[in-house]
Amino acid sequence: MSNEKYYVPHGTYWPIIGSIGISTLFIGFANQMHDVSWGWPVMVLGFAIIAFMMFGWLGTVVAESVGGMYNSQVDKSFRWGMSWFIFSEVMFFAAFFGALLYARVLSVPWLGGEYNNIYTPELWEGFKSTWPLLSTPGEIGQNGTTFSTNFKLVDTWGLPALNTGLLLTSGVTLTYAHHALRAGHRNALMAWMIATIALGVVFLGFQITEYGHAYHDGLKLTSGIYGSTFYLLTGFHGFHVTIGVIMLTVILYRIQKGHFNLENHFAFEGVAWYWHFVDVVWLGLFIFVYWI
Amino acid sequence: MSLFVIVILALIFGFLGSAVIGLLRGGKEGSDRMFKALRMRIILSVLLFAFLLFAGYVGWIEPNGFNLLPTQ
Repeated sequence: MSNEKYYVPHGTYWPIIGSIGISTLFIGFANQMHDVSWGWPVMVLGFAIIAFMMFGWLGTVVAESVGGMYNSQVDKSFRWGMSWFIFSEVMFFAAFFGALLYARVLSVPWLGGEYNNIYTPELWEGFKSTWPLLSTPGEIGQNGTTFSTNFKLVDTWGLPALNTGLLLTSGVTLTYAHHALRAGHRNALMAWMIATIALGVVFLGFQITEYGHAYHDGLKLTSGIYGSTFYLLTGFHGFHVTIGVIMLTVILYRIQKGHFNLENHFAFEGVAWYWHFVDVVWLGLFIFVYWI
Repeated sequence: MSLFVIVILALIFGFLGSAVIGLLRGGKEGSDRMFKALRMRIILSVLLFAFLLFAGYVGWIEPNGFNLLPTQ
């Protein structure tokens, strides 16, 4: 906050490193999709370059912030930047939830002839609207087989409920950490942060276990519209939890370094909001995928 | 019952939105607003989760869970 003028960054090499990382990632990904042998390693290399860029660039920003190079204008820019990022995240998940609801409430019932839609039942003869739909109608219809609808209901009290409890508990511990930060209780702050990170890691472990069960039982990305939306939603959510755990760990490191005080802790607030959002997205998933 | 759950979920998103406004404003006032909104969102979330489990247990709402093994 020492400068009156807006801080103008010096020349930096991080953007070009980020561009190289993204290009490498997509070249690897595209070739992996075509079963090219070097696709995977190049993709992983792309991820590594992006991770290197993220840590390096954000490390530079942290050093500049701690060095007193930012003023209130820069603070405002960070807040606007975070708000737009939040908006993009909300839209990102809204699109996937929208796809789930559209398939479940509109398009699948249409194919089954609901809502007086006289054309769509003719597309796949013998198709009965059911949820979850685990097969692509065209493929099964062409094979002359019937559409499988016999799925036994099981309880939702297992891993899904346990994971929801874990993530909500991490929301509680983070709220206590937030309170401790505002009250200036450093030790309590660190303890609650460690608890939050640990709960996030355990959540990810259980999520991997659940994926193993689901995959073993035959639920794949290709298992109809349900399989696709299930893995898209839960997969991207798991990716966000992973990013959240990394960010919380960085914040814990910065707390330990004494980067925050009662008035200035924007980075903590940004990451805290992100974690609360990821928590609510899971609650939405738990409700729409497993309950309603 | 489903409508009730969706309304509470919408309320939770409302508190998340209020927290963003606090984050955007900054300063003491914004920070206070953000903390209180996030606190309300976690309280509501925990209550909603507890309600879902209770409602499922007593049969007010039937879970949508399933496994992939055919019944026959």
